[in-house]
Amino acid sequence: MSSIGLPHFLIVGAILFSLGMVTVVTRRNAVGILMGVELILNAANVNFIAFNHFVEGPGRLTGQVFSIFVIVLAAAEAAVGLAIVLAIYQTFRTIDVEETDLLRQ
Amino acid sequence: MADVPEIRPSDPRRSAPRVREPRRTIAEGLLRVGMMLAGLMVGVGVLGARLLSGQPLGPIALLALYLAVTAFVFGLNGFAFRRLPLGWGPWLFLFSAALFGVLFLLGYLVGGVAGPFVVDAANRVIPYVKLADAVFYLFAVMTCGGAGGCAFSRNIIYSAWSLLFALLGAAGLYVFLGADFPAVVQVLVYVGGVLVLILFAIMLTKQIGEDPKLTNTHVGFPAGIALALVTVATLAYTAIMAPWKVVAERSWEPTASRLGNAFLTDYLLPFEIASVVLLAALIGAVVIARKEIKETSDVAL
Repeated sequence: MSSIGLPHFLIVGAILFSLGMVTVVTRRNAVGILMGVELILNAANVNFIAFNHFVEGPGRLTGQVFSIFVIVLAAAEAAVGLAIVLAIYQTFRTIDVEETDLLRQ
Repeated sequence: MADVPEIRPSDPRRSAPRVREPRRTIAEGLLRVGMMLAGLMVGVGVLGARLLSGQPLGPIALLALYLAVTAFVFGLNGFAFRRLPLGWGPWLFLFSAALFGVLFLLGYLVGGVAGPFVVDAANRVIPYVKLADAVFYLFAVMTCGGAGGCAFSRNIIYSAWSLLFALLGAAGLYVFLGADFPAVVQVLVYVGGVLVLILFAIMLTKQIGEDPKLTNTHVGFPAGIALALVTVATLAYTAIMAPWKVVAERSWEPTASRLGNAFLTDYLLPFEIASVVLLAALIGAVVIARKEIKETSDVAL
């Protein structure tokens, strides 16, 4: 029997979440900010699956179902977000989020 | 020598004058070789005595091992690490302390995993670390290290590659938790789709890397690190102290078929909504990222 329990996975999720938040807060590159968002979503996924394994018990799959939904929505978010980044780059010639503060040209 | 015209004056490594290294005397070389051999012998002797007697490492043995590592590093510094500024100063002791820590961790893990196999059963059978725990820590370090590289790397390409390690480590954690289908979906969708998309977006846009200050001007790295520490402390305290209702039994059954049944019975409406969201997101991405051709544009794309 392994001695790895629920808090280990929750701490890994916490580290992932906080590093993703640091990425979102400190980056100036818009693509970097999207990578931080992916880290935060992965932290949520780790927590979902850990709770599904340790708390919900065998035979029930709610956590895994929601992790699949999170992955689907993360893919959609990445597609739309990177398309917006490319559109911003075509308009402003930069993806520095401190310089792109207009919705028009 | 100094009148040779520089070919690339912008390169600082070319324009800097070459510093001649001081010649090493034979006595110094012999001293370094002797120190290296002495460190090696002391280290092997302490470890061998500890392995033969079966006693745990005391503080005196640890100090001897640290001094042995220091002597070995000092000896090796004369040959392989000639460029490292390691004299007799504090940097030598700091560097050897770091190396000693790494070696101690490696020895701890190896002794825990392989200890019961190399030592007699009558001598000492309690391993520090089980193999499953070592695998978990491997994946956890991979995930957290990848996330740290993604957060703190200067180059955005390196951040993307670090994100690859974070995503793969998270997939390994899913397997560790008996979630095989989410792990495969993680590898397929994240590593195969999202990460490739991010790399495309990085390479299609101009980098901000002309100035070395890559963080934004309102929140820098110190504030970011403070924020990370506070968040990790709060969440870890909650995760450890909260009385989670952990069930006793675990299951490592394959979950793909049961997940499919769940998606088509209990979660049918969210499933359909998710598919509509995906369709809308793809159409929206195509519409947004479509290159508009303007007559007035004089920028050659």
